[in-house]
Order: sequence, then structure tokens, then C-alpha cells
Amino acid sequence: MLSVLILLPLIGAVIISFWPQKIGENDSSPLHKNLALLCSLVILFWTIFLVFQFDPNQGGMQFSENLTWIEWLGLNYQIGLDGLSLPLIVLNSLLTVVAIWISSETIERSRFYYALLLLLNVGVVGAFLAQDLLLFFLFYEVELIPLYLLIAIWGGQKRGYAATKFLIYTAVSGILLLASFLGLVWLTGAKSFAYGPLLSQTLPLATQLLLLSGILIGFGIKIPFFPFHTWLPDAHVEASTPISVLLAGVLLKLGTYGLLRFGVALFPQAWQELAPFLATWAAISALYGASCAIAQKDMKKVVAYSSIAHMAFILLAAAAGTPLALVAAVAQMVSHGLISALLFVLVGVVYRKTGSRDVDYLRGLLNPEKGLPVVGSLMILGVMASSGIPGMVGFIAEFLIFRSSFPIFPVQTLFCLIGTGLTAVYFLLMVNKVFFGRLTPELANLPPVQFSERLPGLVLAVFIIILGLQPNWLLNWSEVDTAAISNQLTVNQVQLTMKN
Amino acid sequence: MVTATFQPSKHPLAEYIYRLERGEALLKDSPENVMEVVGILKSYGVVLDAYSNNLNYIAEHQFLELFPFFKYFNGEVTFNKLAQYLCHDRINFEYAEYCMKAMFWHGGGGLDSFLDTSEFTQLAQKAIEAKLKGNFVILTLHKIFPDFLFEQIRQMAYYSGLGQFWRIMADMFLSLSDLYDQGKIKTIPDVVQYILDALVADANTPITYQVKIKDQVYDILPKSANLTFLMDTAVPYVEAVFFRGTPFPGTISYNAQAYQIPFDQGSFAFGALYADPLPIGSAGIPPTLLMQDMRHFLPDYLHDFYQQTLRKEDDLRVQICTTFQKSMFCVTTAAIKGLAPFPLDTINMEEKLANRKYLEKWMNRFLSSRILDVNH
Repeated sequence: MLSVLILLPLIGAVIISFWPQKIGENDSSPLHKNLALLCSLVILFWTIFLVFQFDPNQGGMQFSENLTWIEWLGLNYQIGLDGLSLPLIVLNSLLTVVAIWISSETIERSRFYYALLLLLNVGVVGAFLAQDLLLFFLFYEVELIPLYLLIAIWGGQKRGYAATKFLIYTAVSGILLLASFLGLVWLTGAKSFAYGPLLSQTLPLATQLLLLSGILIGFGIKIPFFPFHTWLPDAHVEASTPISVLLAGVLLKLGTYGLLRFGVALFPQAWQELAPFLATWAAISALYGASCAIAQKDMKKVVAYSSIAHMAFILLAAAAGTPLALVAAVAQMVSHGLISALLFVLVGVVYRKTGSRDVDYLRGLLNPEKGLPVVGSLMILGVMASSGIPGMVGFIAEFLIFRSSFPIFPVQTLFCLIGTGLTAVYFLLMVNKVFFGRLTPELANLPPVQFSERLPGLVLAVFIIILGLQPNWLLNWSEVDTAAISNQLTVNQVQLTMKN
Repeated sequence: MVTATFQPSKHPLAEYIYRLERGEALLKDSPENVMEVVGILKSYGVVLDAYSNNLNYIAEHQFLELFPFFKYFNGEVTFNKLAQYLCHDRINFEYAEYCMKAMFWHGGGGLDSFLDTSEFTQLAQKAIEAKLKGNFVILTLHKIFPDFLFEQIRQMAYYSGLGQFWRIMADMFLSLSDLYDQGKIKTIPDVVQYILDALVADANTPITYQVKIKDQVYDILPKSANLTFLMDTAVPYVEAVFFRGTPFPGTISYNAQAYQIPFDQGSFAFGALYADPLPIGSAGIPPTLLMQDMRHFLPDYLHDFYQQTLRKEDDLRVQICTTFQKSMFCVTTAAIKGLAPFPLDTINMEEKLANRKYLEKWMNRFLSSRILDVNH
């Protein structure tokens, strides 16, 4: 059942790639978009089907599939779905539909473009489902290639620079992860790369710390945390809107998912040793991201730096490691995925209509007749959600994170709270400049926004509000599995206490 | 003996002076402008008809009512009408009051002067005594604050004055539309001439106001005051609403402490001819109410015209306002022509010079107006 999620986009990518093209016909057809959209919708419906089949109370992997792939290497095609990966799979399926929906119908080389988008989906879904360390690494690397090409070919003016920077950073990230996975398997004498909690327990603490450091830096680049973040603003600015949506909405979550799955769960002892430092790292990253966001003049960069700040809260929650903190971390992943996707979608509409993302140039776009009032209203909603206004999913996730981390890391939590407070500052600065005031004469003749352009934003806004009013629908999925991960930390703590 | 010569005007808006001297209008003549102006004046006529009926109703039936809760219902307070009102399925009569208050505030003309006479005070006092007979609380308050009720009646006089003025204007604009439909109005000068003729024809229509209290009729604006349509309501209206207006809250805030609002009311330049259409549609912008009302009564050809624009009818209220501003420049042209010291096509040099001086004075007022934008 799960393989369908990997095979469907793969088959879709192949069909679109080889879709016949008449001689002399421009390789830019709405048909390719429709095919990709159909494929992504089927994936979304299959994901919804899985959601209804999933038993949140069961705990552990469900719908597992296990095939021996390369026996001598210890690589198995082992996939499964649990409460940690399910919300992210749903998020990925939803945002893939959104990304394809908002892609231009007249995009050049559309066959290649949509095939790459679907291949990206294959990589991301595979990584979330993989229950084998090497398989995870393979999917993690597979996702880099289409993303690199999507930025390098369909990006902005400095796309080459941004794509190469992204590739170098994430390649280093991959190398560090691979090194840590290999080290873990070889040093523990395991016969395969199969995911096994407590795998590291036979290793000395110093070795665990070394291996965990590789994982932390590897995923720290991907998420990204300060000071490994510099690729992200460039990538966002140069990437087209659909790619930014996927990048912020899903791809960064590979890093935080990896931290919980392979950091906390595989190295509970070392994780606890490093937890205070990780919480401090989170606070620094949150404050740095927020401070940088205040200074930005490009709307996309504001949202990009805001991502750095908000993703840091997940590290804070992971460092706290309590059941509530870990479930909050998952909630924050989904929350940030929805909110950042909404903000990028809206920034994309603003850019398409005005030709600018410059907060010093744009003004008065909330004008009810001549501006972009619905887009502006949705932007205000997105900004409120990101700032943690109650009634929206951002509040639920951040409140749970701070509520759970404060008893353990009060100082770091307070600094992160300042970071979340700064969210209101930089986003209100942006919204105030761009949407309020008098519409300037240069912007007085903007083309209308079609309903189809508003629809993705409306859908995301509905999810943000529904999950804000009924958070249990999100939290219930992962409560049992995150509690199990947290339990490993507690057991390890008890064992350490007894030893001492 | 000094011979007067007719030099070219050095005024920045000299082009418009020449236009008027040639018998043209402030608004450029084109079939599209004619269609827009006539179409918008048709819908304006329908709206003015409703405004006029309501202003007259308030003046006559809500006289000194301390709590006029249902003043916009024209005496028909039914559940259905209340439901429609609450669902905002109604005409925005507030806009009519906004214009009335602009006129009341800026004054001018015989109506304003008459309201400061002792004759008015005596007439008003009689009406107050009749209306409040037996109401000792209010009569006592009237003695303590003697100006309050008089000021209320002055306001009622303006309700009535504007109601009567708009009654004539509504009919005039609807007739204009009929003539256009019959093919008798083809150019902007035709529109201006029609308005000018109609204004002149009704110039001496008397403006009077009586209230009926307990079957007894009381004069507030008697016929003996000799108030007439043109000089005592039309001219003050154009001055107050087209030129001076009142600064309204919205995207631009006027700071009185920073002297952004002139002390001299004659220097106000916030009227319809100066208004920026872009903020229309935003909360707190009074013309939004008028545009909301007019959009219900646009003729089909104007809808078709707006449908051809970039945003189709997404920005309808701003488009209506832009068109409305064009039509107001036509009405203003008629007013300028009508008030000119001599016919603008005179060949007498002295008269021409006097007219030139007169037109340059007008053009000074247009310097910060939207005249260039509507002719763009």
C-alpha cells in the first residue's frame, strides 16, 4: 500500500517525460500540467485513504513492506508509516498538489518541469517512509537532483549561483549523514542498515556523540539552523513560487524529521548529553532568523528568514524531549509547512501581479477595488498564524513547544519566545508597508486575481484555521509514537541515574 | 487712450480657458466620454431621486424628532424593510446627509444668510413652541441652551433645501439620458448645454419649507424670503460639494494641528473635483456610499464599457467614481458658463477681458483638481 505513494509519482514522471510531442510544437503545454495535477491528486486521495486506514492508537510502524534489495550491502527496501511520518506524508501530498496547481501553464519545457516535480515527490515520500538508514539516505539524495534542476533551470536571475550553493550545502549534509549511518552500523556490528531504536546503546558515549554530531550538522544544514543557513534565502529568492512552497513546506521538514527519527530515537543517551546545547542553538538560531527577517526588503527573504526562526523551535522541542514536546515538534512541522506554504503562495501572487517583491516599492495592496484585497487578507491571516495568534495552528504548535520546554530549558525558551514575538514585528512591518496605505499610481492598474489563483491560499488558510480550532486531529496521529521516542529518553535517563 | 489687447493666457491651465472661450467644455469631447457621462448621470439621477425623497421626508416628518431611529425608512417601518436595511439591501441615505452637512458647514447663498436673520428665528421659535407644547423638559432645556434647537431647524432647512435641489437635478439627469437614448445628445458640449439650459430654466424656482405640526402649517423658509433654486441651492451646493467638501477619514489623514486643513473654509479643496478615486471602496470614504448606490442603476452600455477594462467590474466603484468625476466637470462647466459675467462667445474686447479674468480665477481653483487626470 505504501509503495503506491512512491510508485505513482514515479510512473507519473515517466509518463509525462515520454508524452509524445508533435514536431515543431513548443514544449510548453497545459496538458503536461493537467497530467501532473491528476497524478498528484491521485496521490493525495491515496494518502487520505491511508489516513483513514491508519490506527493512531496502535503505535509503531504500520503498512510495513520489507524486501531484500542488495543483501551483501545490507540494504533492504523497508518502508513503514507511523505517527511521525504520517502528518508529513499528508503535508507533502497536499503541497505537491498546491505546487503543481500554482505552476504556470505556459512554463517552458513543461514535460521536464512536471516530471522533476513528481520525482521530487518520490524522493521526499521515500525518505519519510524509509525504515532503512541507507534507503533513507538514497531517497534523501534522490530529492536533491530534481530540486537542484528546478532551481537552476526555472529560477531567477542568479539561479545558477543559488542552485549550486544549495547543492554544495546539501551534498555536505548528505555526506555527514552517510558517514554517521555507516559509522553506526559498522561500529555496532549490525548486519544491515535496518532502522532499530537503541542501536547505539552498545557504543561508548564519546562515539555516540561523534556520530550524533554528524547527524546534527547534516540535518542542521537541511533545516537549516544558524550558521548553516545561508543557502536557504538564496534558494528561496531564486526559486520559482511552487518550488519555494515545496522547499519551505516539506523539504526542510526532512531535516527536522531526521532529527527526531535518527537523532533522538537512535542516540537517546548522547542526545540527552547535548540537549542543553541544542536548546541554546535553537534560541540563537531563532533570534538570528528573526533579526535578519526584520532587515529584509524582499518579501520572499522575510518569509525565508522567518522559516529559519520557526524551524529552530522544533529543535528546542526535540531538545526538551518530553512526550508533549515531541508531539509539539511534529505539530510545528505541519504548522510551519502550512503557514510558510501559504505565505509563499501569496508572495508569488503579489509578484506575478505587481512584478515586484520589494517592500519599499509595494504599497496599499489591500485596496478593495484596485489592489489584491483577498490576497492581502489571506496574507494577514498567514502572518497572524505565523505570529502565534490563537485560533490558528501556529498558536497550538508554538504554545505546546514553549509549554513543554520551559520547565526544562527556561532561559532558552524565553529567548525563543522573544523570537516568536519578533515574528509579529517583521511580518507586521512587511504587511504594513506592502498592504496598507495608499495604492501608488504605479500599482493602480494591476491585473485581477482569478479565483484559481486564490484557491490554493484559501485551502491552506482553511487547514490553518481548522487545525487551530481542532488540534487533536493533528496531535492524535503522532501522540503514541512520539511518546515512545520520548520514553526511550526517559529509560535512558533512569539507567544513567541507576549507574551513578 | 489705452487700447486693450487680448493676449494669450499665461495660466498653467490656459488650455482649458481657451476651451471654454471656444464654447467647449472642461472635459474633452469624445463619443466614449459622452456615453460615460450620460450613463453615469442616468444612474445618478435614479439615486438622487431616492436621496431627494428621503431628505424631504426627514425635513417634513422628522422635524425636531429627538430620536429619529427610522428616518431612512420614509415612513414605511415594516419587518421586511428592517430586514433589508440590516442586510444592507438599501440606498445609502447617509451619503445624502453627508452632502447636506457639507453644504450646511460651508454655507453661502441666500439660504445660509436667511437662516441667520431674525425673521427665521421668529418662524423657528413658533415651530418649536408648537412642536414642544407640553414638553416641559425639552422646553426648559431650550431655555438653558437656546441655540440648540435653532441649529437643528437650520439643519432641517438644509435637508429641505438639498432635497428640493436634488429633486430638480434628478429629473434633469434622467431627461438627459432619455435625450441621449433618442440620439439628441451627441457631444460633451451638448451635455453641458443641456445642463446649462435646464439650470437656467429652473433658476427661479422658489425654495420654500413648511412643516405641519398638529394640522397647522408653519413656515420655516417662506416664499417671501425669495430663495431660488439656482443661486441659493445650486451654487452653494457646487461650491460645497464639488469644490470644498470635507476631509474624510481614510487612507489620507488630515492633521488639523499641522495646518493641513485650511482655516479659511473658502480655501478647502477636498470636494468631488479633487477627490482621489483610488481609495473608493475602503471603509470610511463617504463617496464609496454613492458609488455603491449608483452601481445598481448603471445602464447596460456602461456595464459593457466597464467589462472591457483590465479588471472588468472588479474595481467597479473606482471606475464609477472616475466616470462620475468626468460628469461633475461637465456640470461645473455649465455652472461656469452660467455664472460668467458675459457670454463666453462675446466679441466685445472688454467683455472678453472680463471673461478671461473670470475664467483665470476659476482655473486657479482647478490647479490641484483632477482636471488633467479626467482628460488624460
